[in-house]
Amino acid sequence: MTKRILIWTLLLGLVWGGLLVAGCGESREPYAGTYRSMEPYAGEGHVELELKDNGEADWKLPESGKTIKFKWRVENDRLWFYTKDGGIIHAIPSDGGQKLNADLTGQWHPSCPKDKCIIFERVPGKGPP
Amino acid sequence: MTQSDSQIDKLKLEQVGKEVTIPSGVRVVKQGDPPVHFYVVVSGKLKVYRETDDGIRTDLTELGPGDYFGEVALVTGKPRTASVEALEESELLEITKEEFDSVLDQNPKLARQIIYSLSQWLVDGDQRLEKETVHQVKMRQISWFDYLLIGGLSIVLALVFNLYNDNSIPLVYSAGPVPGVETISLQEAVQLYRQDQAVFVDARKSNFYEQAHIKGAMNLPVVFFDLQYPMFEFMLQQQQVPKELPLVVYGGNISRRFDKELAKLLEEKSDRKIMILDDADYRAWKQAFPLEEHPGKEVSAMPLGISGYIEWIPVGIFLLILIPPVRRSPYLSAACRLILGIIFVDFALSKIMRPAVFANNVVDYMMMPSWAVNLWALVLPWGELVAGLFLILGIRTRASASVIGAMNIIFIVGLVKVIMQGLPITCGCVGEAGEPVTWWKVLKNTGMLVMALQVFFYDRLFVLDRGGFIWRERKI
Repeated sequence: MTKRILIWTLLLGLVWGGLLVAGCGESREPYAGTYRSMEPYAGEGHVELELKDNGEADWKLPESGKTIKFKWRVENDRLWFYTKDGGIIHAIPSDGGQKLNADLTGQWHPSCPKDKCIIFERVPGKGPP
Repeated sequence: MTQSDSQIDKLKLEQVGKEVTIPSGVRVVKQGDPPVHFYVVVSGKLKVYRETDDGIRTDLTELGPGDYFGEVALVTGKPRTASVEALEESELLEITKEEFDSVLDQNPKLARQIIYSLSQWLVDGDQRLEKETVHQVKMRQISWFDYLLIGGLSIVLALVFNLYNDNSIPLVYSAGPVPGVETISLQEAVQLYRQDQAVFVDARKSNFYEQAHIKGAMNLPVVFFDLQYPMFEFMLQQQQVPKELPLVVYGGNISRRFDKELAKLLEEKSDRKIMILDDADYRAWKQAFPLEEHPGKEVSAMPLGISGYIEWIPVGIFLLILIPPVRRSPYLSAACRLILGIIFVDFALSKIMRPAVFANNVVDYMMMPSWAVNLWALVLPWGELVAGLFLILGIRTRASASVIGAMNIIFIVGLVKVIMQGLPITCGCVGEAGEPVTWWKVLKNTGMLVMALQVFFYDRLFVLDRGGFIWRERKI
């Protein structure tokens, strides 16, 4: 009986530990903050991106007043944005984290494809430098 | 085989033989060697053991002062039945066969004692054999309960986890009729297209759209609907598309998840009339419309780190199974279990946290109806995790191996289908962005299948249930 309890405790411990490891990513802190799109959506029709430290994020369209919520994490110095429908946007930081190149193809690419890339720039004073 | 000091004295063995000193770790008698001497332990400690051809060692007993060994082979005249090794420096009385026979002739007490020892040895042997047989039978047992345990545990864990997961998904995705969306036949859609009386919207992911789409159709991937819809509307305005023109949504595969979901979302957000192809021929658009095609674009490979390297190990199994003794080795089974376990736990953990992402990967394979996609996406990773952990820990290993083998058969069928049809997708096996589907990937999965079969047929070491944990050198 004791052995069975030991086995199942071990098993559940491994599952719990694994999930803990799987749930943790790299620190979001260096990239948390507010970004604003430069290309191709600049000016009035720009997109504002707010990345919160807790993994929540807002994709805001100030012109229409709409806000779309999604989640994000950091892995291998890339930002992964998750839409609620299961889409993934990979964002590659550049200029020491001052810019984000968001790949809207939904696929992984070594670099952001030009025709499907939105470049965001960090808004000074909102989030870590 | 053993005697007390006083009895040994009585046997008058001191009149024969010579004393030898055996250093620690030295083997006095080797299993299979011809019988030459009989030994009595004067001082020290020795171990008696048997070893099979494939290296499985079974410790039989330990001997101390007053014990004796080597009598079985001398009496039967057959090769040594076991090996004896000194555990510490030991003093032994070494008696030749002739001296042994002479002592037996002159000493009926010793002869009786030897007969008693041999009889006892046979009885002990029978008991050991029975115990081992029972153990092996238990180990080889496989029942429906094992599968029920693995399946039930996976389903329960998947459902409970989905309840508390921030990224939970509905258990069943319904792809029934979409209220407010008009269903049209392929012929009607073609007529609208020819008369330029509709805007065609492709609901699939951009890589599918780029590979082939209806000429002039726009792409609005349903997975990015929230983000891309404002841009989509903006483009319609830029192109001055009249408000009265309907939007015809297409792009459903067997699951109809993308086109129906997009039609539903557009119906909620857009002022335009939304149409969708009917259930009869929604997949025949490639034959009915002029297409824009860009085939052959390769899917980028995301670096998978350690997971990517581990996945190559199963390919080595093809070399190992060519060597017959290795092919059947229980040590190979233990290694296969560990490798398969690590790979499948790794596969599982990369998918468990965000089932919606994995569900989209499942849809890409075009093999599963809508209602089953979410269930599969929820339960499969937990099945991988449970079976993988069972293999590592040695719990219900035959059932776990057969579950993993079955999964690999499904994966191989899916991968071959993707390659044959040239679908522009990633595997979705490990990591959320996955790896490209290639024949190498098929080979890796075939290696895993062979490993699972090896475990199914030959696993018998390092198991945690069914009779206790068995180490390499087991005490009986």
